[in-house]
Amino acid sequence: METSKAIKLKVNGKQLELLAAPNSTLLEILRNNGHVEVKCGCEKGDCGACAVILDGEAVDSCLTLAWIADGSEVQTVKGIGTEATPHPLQTAFIEEGSVQCGYCIPGIIVAAKVLLDENPDPTDSDIRVALSGNLCRCTGYTRIFSAIHKAAQVMREGAQKNG
Amino acid sequence: MLPRFELYQPTTLPEALGMLSETGGNVRPFAGGTNLIPDLRGGREQARKFVSLAGLDDLRFTRFANGRVEIGSLTTVSDLHRSHEVLRNAPALHASATAFAGHMVRCTATIAGNICYGSPSADLLPPLLSLDANVTLASAAGLRILPLSRFNLGYKQTALKPGEMMTQISWPQPARGTVQLFYKLGLRKGDAISVISAAVSLTLKQMVCTHARIALGSVAATVVRAERAEALLLGRELTEKLIGEAAELAADASAPIDDLRASKEYRLHTARVLVRRLLRQAAEGPGEAGSTRRSTEG
Amino acid sequence: MVETVPTATNSPNVQLHQVGKPLIRTDAPNKAYGNTLYAGDLTMPGMLYAKVFRADRPSALIVKVDTARARALEGVRCVLTAWDLPDRLVVTDIPGQTGGKTKNTAQPILAKERVRFFNEPIALIAADSEEIAASARDLIEVEYAPFPGVFDRAEALTAGAPLVDGDANVVAAYKIRKGDTERGFEEADLVIENSFRTQVQEQAFLEPEAGLAWMDDKNVLNIKVSTQVVEHFRAIADALGIPHNRVHIEAMYVGGGFGGKEGLTIEMMLALLAYNTRKPVRLILTREESFVNHGNRHPFTLHYRSGVKKDGRITAMEVRLIADSGAYSKLSPYVLLYATVGAPGPYKVDNLKVDSVVAATNNLSTCAFRGFGTMQACVAYEGQMDEIAKSLGLTPLEVRQKNFIHTGDRNATGQKIESAVWSEQCAIQALEALGERAKGNDVVKIGRGLACYQQSYGRIRWFKDSSEAWVGIEVDGTVIVRCAVTDIGAGQSSSLAQIAAEVLGVPMEKVVTYFGDCTLNPLAGTSSASRALYMTGNATKMAATKVRDNLLEWAGRHFQVPPDDLQLVEFRVTAISDPARSMPIDELARRCAADGVHRHHLAMFKAPTSEGLDPETGQGEVFPDFTYGAHACEVAVDTETGEVTVLKSVGAHDVGQSLNPQSVAGQIEGSALMGQGFALCEEIIQRNGVLVTPSFSEYLIPTSEDVPETKAIILESRSGLGPFGSKGMGEPAFAPVAASIANAVADAIGVRIFELPITSEKVINALARKASGQVKMH
Repeated sequence: METSKAIKLKVNGKQLELLAAPNSTLLEILRNNGHVEVKCGCEKGDCGACAVILDGEAVDSCLTLAWIADGSEVQTVKGIGTEATPHPLQTAFIEEGSVQCGYCIPGIIVAAKVLLDENPDPTDSDIRVALSGNLCRCTGYTRIFSAIHKAAQVMREGAQKNG
Repeated sequence: MLPRFELYQPTTLPEALGMLSETGGNVRPFAGGTNLIPDLRGGREQARKFVSLAGLDDLRFTRFANGRVEIGSLTTVSDLHRSHEVLRNAPALHASATAFAGHMVRCTATIAGNICYGSPSADLLPPLLSLDANVTLASAAGLRILPLSRFNLGYKQTALKPGEMMTQISWPQPARGTVQLFYKLGLRKGDAISVISAAVSLTLKQMVCTHARIALGSVAATVVRAERAEALLLGRELTEKLIGEAAELAADASAPIDDLRASKEYRLHTARVLVRRLLRQAAEGPGEAGSTRRSTEG
Repeated sequence: MVETVPTATNSPNVQLHQVGKPLIRTDAPNKAYGNTLYAGDLTMPGMLYAKVFRADRPSALIVKVDTARARALEGVRCVLTAWDLPDRLVVTDIPGQTGGKTKNTAQPILAKERVRFFNEPIALIAADSEEIAASARDLIEVEYAPFPGVFDRAEALTAGAPLVDGDANVVAAYKIRKGDTERGFEEADLVIENSFRTQVQEQAFLEPEAGLAWMDDKNVLNIKVSTQVVEHFRAIADALGIPHNRVHIEAMYVGGGFGGKEGLTIEMMLALLAYNTRKPVRLILTREESFVNHGNRHPFTLHYRSGVKKDGRITAMEVRLIADSGAYSKLSPYVLLYATVGAPGPYKVDNLKVDSVVAATNNLSTCAFRGFGTMQACVAYEGQMDEIAKSLGLTPLEVRQKNFIHTGDRNATGQKIESAVWSEQCAIQALEALGERAKGNDVVKIGRGLACYQQSYGRIRWFKDSSEAWVGIEVDGTVIVRCAVTDIGAGQSSSLAQIAAEVLGVPMEKVVTYFGDCTLNPLAGTSSASRALYMTGNATKMAATKVRDNLLEWAGRHFQVPPDDLQLVEFRVTAISDPARSMPIDELARRCAADGVHRHHLAMFKAPTSEGLDPETGQGEVFPDFTYGAHACEVAVDTETGEVTVLKSVGAHDVGQSLNPQSVAGQIEGSALMGQGFALCEEIIQRNGVLVTPSFSEYLIPTSEDVPETKAIILESRSGLGPFGSKGMGEPAFAPVAASIANAVADAIGVRIFELPITSEKVINALARKASGQVKMH
C-alpha cells in the first residue's frame, strides 16, 4: 500500500508542501495544516461548508482527494479577502446582516465568489442555483441573496470606474 | 474519514488502461468521486484500489460537429450546465445538469461517473437515453461502442468489464425541430435526489410524430425507455387522446418500488403525469430550444 | 447586588441612540473573514483523538462488551465503558439554572445492561490519531441478547407494552381543567373534531457537536465546546466525583443550536477521556453521529375537539396530546408542558380540557428544539381554526378575531396576560403583505394560509430563573461585559454589547462581551427558551445602569449639576442644561478611577416565579410572559404531481422592542425557511427504531432553491419584560410558520393534510380521497 507523499498546493497565494495519504481529502489536509476556516459539516458533499476554490472552480473539499488536488491552486474564504482588504462580498455579508451562526459562511462566500467572477450581474435565480450546494440553517438565505446582489453591484460600479 | 486505499494517478489514457488491466480487475476507475467518496466513507464501496482519471484532461470536451454530439467522459456536470452548445443542442440534458445535486458537486461530478454509478436516479440518464446516446468503452484491448440502453443492466450493474472505462458519450444530433424536455420531481427544489424524472425527445411534422423517445428515471432498477409508448406515438398525430394512451403505456414500462422518497403508487401516478405533461408541452410546439423545466412553479 | 422583580409594563423609552438600530453585529466581520474559531477548530500539543462506539440496534440486552483488542491496539490511550465510570448516571434536569434535579431524568452516560435506543453510546476511545481511534472502535465487540422494543407512542402506553425504563412508559402527563367543557359543548352550534400528527425534526445546525478538553496545572478540567449551556459543568463534576469548581467550560461561538445543544452534547465524553488520560482530548462528531447524539423534535399526536357558535366564537375545547420522548426523558416533561399550556393557542377559551402524555419508546431521544412543544400545538389549533372558518363560511381572519386573547385576559392556566397582545395587528399586516394573489390554473392551485400563536419567552416560573452580568468601564473608555451566556448565532453577545453601549453612551465597537465561560464570567443561564436576550439583556442593562449612575454621580459633583441633568451619548458626558459642561467618557472614567469610584458592577436579574400548577386543574402561572404574532404565506400546489411551492412567506411579530432590527428580521426569515422545512420536506424516519435518514442526503432541509419571497414585519409594543420592553423572538418567529403553510395547502386544494410533512405524495393521496368523496364532511 502506498503511503503518504508530499503534495504541492498553492493556498491563498502561498506555496505549500503538505503530507497527504491516498485517502486524505483536501478538507482534511487543509484543516490539519491550519486552514480551519474551511469548515466540515457532512463529509459527503451535502452541505457545502467545506467549499474552496480549486483552480477557479468551487468544489467541496470533502469530496476532493488531496492527491488529485496536487499541483493546484486553492483559495479559501481567507484568500478571498481579509479584514485589511475585504472582498465586496464579505463587506456586503457584514452590512446586510447575512451572518448568524456563521458556520456556513466560508463555503457560501466561496460559492458566491465563483459566481460573481463568472457572472457579474446574476439574477436571483442564478444566485439560487449557485448556492444550491450550500446549506444554511439560520438565515433563510434572504439576506445572503441581498448581500450577493449588493456585492455584485459594488463590483460592477468599481469595474466601471476602473475601466 | 476514508478507509485506506491505493490511488494510481496516470496522466495518459494508455497508462490508465494499463493500470486498470494490470491489477487483475480489482481496481476501479475514479472520476469525480462524488459518489465513490461518500460510499467509501459509508462502507458501501469495498474496492481498495483506484485509478484516478483526473489527469486525463483529453477526456474533458464537448464537440458538436458533423451531425454528432460527442462528450468526453470526464466532462463535468457543471461543464454541461455552462455550455451554450449543450443548452442549444441538448436542452433536456442541460436541464438535467442544472437540476443535478448542488453547485460544488456539479463542478466535480462527471458525466461518465453519473452513468457508470448505475443508479436509476441518475439525473443525466433519462435525457441521454432519450437522445439514443452511445457510450465508448476503452480497455487495454481496444474500444467498443455500446448503446446506452444496453449499458445499465440493473441496479448498480453496468456492462463495464474489469479493466474497462468509459471514454466518450455520443449521439446523433436530433432532427431540426426536435423538442427535448426534462422534468425532475424531488422532495425539495434544490439538491434533491429524484423521486422520479422523465425526459422526452420528440420530432413532430405537422403534429405527426416522426420520432419519439421517452425515458424515465427512478421507476425501475435502471433508467428505462418507454418503448411501447414511443412506438404508439410514431407516425400518429399527437392528440390529447394519444398523449393519454402513451402516458399509460409509459407508466406500464415502470416497475417502481417503495422507498424512503416515495411509494410505488405515487411513482406510477407521476410517471403518467410527467409523460403526459412533457408530451403536451412538446405538442404545444418546440418553442425556443431551452423550453425545459425542472419544477412546476408558475 | 441589585435584585429586581420586574413589572409587566416598562416605562416609555427614553430616546435610544443605539438600541433599535441595525448596527453591525460584533461577531459578523470575523465570521465573514473566516477568522472565527469554532470548537472543532481547536488543537493542543499532544492532543488525543476521541471516538464513540455506539450500539447498532435500538433495543437489546448487553451480555458482554469486549474491549481487549481495542485497548491492545498501539496508540490507543484509553477505552472507557460503563464499567469504568465512577457514576454511571448523569442527571441534567433543568439544564443550567440552579442545578435542580429530578430523579426520573437520570440517563446512563454509557449503556451498561441495556441498549435503549439506536446508536446509544457504549464505549469511548481516545488514541494518538483519529485513524487509530477509528480502528480501535472497529475492534470493540459487543454481545447482545434480544430485548423487545416499543416504537409507537400509543402502543407504548398500552398495558403489556415492553417497558423502556422503570415500571411505566409514561414519562409525564398533565391535565388542564378550566371552566365547564360539557356546558361549553352544549352551547356550541357546531363541534369540529380532528386529529393531527407531527413528525420528528432534526435541528440540522451546520456545526456538528465538537469540543476539546484537558486537565490544567491547577487540576481543573477545561472543556471548550459547542454548547448552549455552560452550566452543565455541575453535572460533569458530579459524574466524575470532583468538586464543581474544578470543571471549567467555555462555550465557543456555536455553529447553530436550535435546542439541539441544550442538553449535554459531548462535554461528558470529553471530560471522562481527558480526566482519565490526563491529556488533551478532542472529539468532533460526524454528521451521522450528530443526528443520533442530540434529542430531536418530539413527534406529537394532537386530537382537538372544538365547540363553536355560529359567529365563530369558541365555547369549548377538548385536547388530547401524545408525544414520544424516545428512550430517555431528557426535557420531555417540559416540552409536553409547553404543548399543554399552549394547546388553545392565542385564543380565549374559557371552557378547556387538556389531557397530555409523553411516552417513552425505543426511538431516538427527543428533547429541546425551537418551538418546544408549542409549535406542534400550533399546527393543530391553527388547523382547527381554519376548519372552523370553512365550516362557518367565515374568513380565517374573522374566526380568529372572534377569539383572540387580549391583555388582561386569562390564558389556559388562568395566568393573566400582562403585556400587549397584538395578534390581530400582526395577522392583518402579514396578510396585507402578501399583496396580489398569484394566478393559478386548472393544474396549479394557489392557496393562502394564516397562523397566529402564543409563545412564551423565558423559562418556566418555578425554575426560578436568574441571570447575572458584569459590566465595567476601563480608563480608556472601553467597556467590558462579562456574561456566561452562550452565543449560538442569534447575536447573543452582540446584543449585550449594544445594550451596554446604549446605557454608557459609547460606540458599540468600544464594547467587548466576554461570554460563554462558566468560571470567569458570571453565570447567565442557558441560551434557550427565547430567554437569552430577556434575561441576560436585563442583567446587562442593570449592571451598566449602575456603572452609569456611579459615573454620573461623580460627574454631577464635578460639573455641579444634578446627575439627572447629565447624559452619556456619543462618548461624552454632557450637562443637558449647559452643554459646555462636558467631557469625553475616557476622561470621565479615568478621573472616576483616580477618585476611587466603582466603575464596574455585577447585577442579577430574576424572572418572576411561581410555585407550580395545581395538578388537578392545571391552573397557575407557568411562564413570565408571551410573544404574539402571525405568519402568512401563499403557496402554489401542482395538483398533478402534488408539489407544493411556497411563493411568499411573511412573518409579522410584536417583538416589544427590537434591539437590532436586522437581527430580528434574520430570526423571522430563518424561521420562515426552517418552518417551511418542517411543513414540507423534513422528517426523521425510523424503522423499528433504526434511523433510516442518517445524513443530509436523506434528511432534507430547504436549500437556496426552496426560498420563497420572504418578508419580516416588526411591530413594537414596548410592553415586554426584556430590556427596553423587548420580548423573546428566537422561537416565536418559528412557531406559526408550518401551521400557516399547512393552512395554505388546505386552502389551495380544498382538503386538509393532517399529517406533516406535507409531501407531494400526501397531496396526491389527499386529492384522491377528496375526489372519491372520502373526505370527512362536517
